[in-house]
Amino acid sequence: MSGHSHTAPPSDPELRIKALESLLVEKKLIDPDAVDAIIETYETKIGSRNGAKVVARAWVDPEYKARLLADGTKAIAELGFTGVQGEDMVVVENTDEVHNVVVCTLCSCYPWPTLGLPPVWYKAAPYRARVVSDPRGVLLEFGTRLSDDVEVRVWDSNAELRYLVLPQRPAGTQSWTEEQLANLVSRDSMIGTANVQLPAQGAAS
Amino acid sequence: MNGVHDLGGMHGFGPIDPEPNEPVFHHDWERRVFGIMIATFGGGHYNVDQFRHAIERMGPVEYLTGSYYEHWLSSLETLLTERGAITQAELDARREQLSKEAR
Amino acid sequence: MPVVAKDFVPVLAATGGSTRVHKAVAPRFRAGDHVLVRTIHPEHHTRLPRYARGKRGIVEQDHGVFVFPDTSAHDQGEKPQHVYSVRFTARELWGPQAPERDTLRLDLWDDYLDLVV
Repeated sequence: MSGHSHTAPPSDPELRIKALESLLVEKKLIDPDAVDAIIETYETKIGSRNGAKVVARAWVDPEYKARLLADGTKAIAELGFTGVQGEDMVVVENTDEVHNVVVCTLCSCYPWPTLGLPPVWYKAAPYRARVVSDPRGVLLEFGTRLSDDVEVRVWDSNAELRYLVLPQRPAGTQSWTEEQLANLVSRDSMIGTANVQLPAQGAAS
Repeated sequence: MNGVHDLGGMHGFGPIDPEPNEPVFHHDWERRVFGIMIATFGGGHYNVDQFRHAIERMGPVEYLTGSYYEHWLSSLETLLTERGAITQAELDARREQLSKEAR
Repeated sequence: MPVVAKDFVPVLAATGGSTRVHKAVAPRFRAGDHVLVRTIHPEHHTRLPRYARGKRGIVEQDHGVFVFPDTSAHDQGEKPQHVYSVRFTARELWGPQAPERDTLRLDLWDDYLDLVV
């Protein structure tokens, strides 16, 4: 099942991808301009500011929030965020009783249209191994402490559903605009490793 | 398969150690790997399950010591040769040629 | 093989490729069912993590019908079937030292589960 009969690849990934890309281009199996456009899209155009807008909308509009929790894909699409690795979305709400945190233990599944591409730590062994069996310890590493009264609910994204955490709105923001609220929402709060904080308590990242 | 990728619940990997404000890509070769994966996936050369399984077939030491986009690169090399887009001989020859040019 | 063109990239990114299958397939379970995760150790591709095998959970929700990765990864067809959000207590998975209230959810296909009567 594992292993191949070919020779081990050279150690330099730069050389390896150059070899692969040049062959694919010569054989007209890929269009290099399309490859550039793909890179640009995911490096500069899609990121966690999308998810922050979804969260802010849910905070200010209870009917939107209800739609979001009932059918995440459809409600997120209302704001124009759709597509690769977000085709089947589930939004999970943090409350005083429940704190959600998302992982993909088997690889790196992550909701790209709302959060962009995942950070290295999300895709690496320490997080993937530990957050399912010791989520509170992991959250402490991120500076997030939860009381024993709260249920920590871990979502392992092992299928094609993609999960977005709807974090709790910080107190004292009742008069804030949707845009101001969105600026508060960090990527980590939508993964579940952090809560949303007011700037005085610690900068949102 | 019961590979080392099935990490849930394992011990001993140390602290998570998140990098603050990390860039989307740390190296230009990572960009190329990403772009080529999406382009070949979009072109129907393989499906997502085949892509993941090719990563799982990397072998445990290579998997655990390789970076994330090295996993993707390995999968692309495996699938595109196995499924006939390119041949292993072509890939080996091109690597050899580029390696000579780099010296 | 089609070649993705530059102009198609925004469409590709915005559309993606859901593995949901729009076919009427009978579910084996429904919300509220107690299930036992099968103790299987396939050498082929699977999305059933080892830590859940042989564990007991409760079906929270039926997500609908999706491609089955265990066959799809091996050119053996889609074998479309229901995927369920299954709830496990932390103690069921990790033992009595785990916090009492904590839980974990996995999305599991019909073929990974048996009903606990």
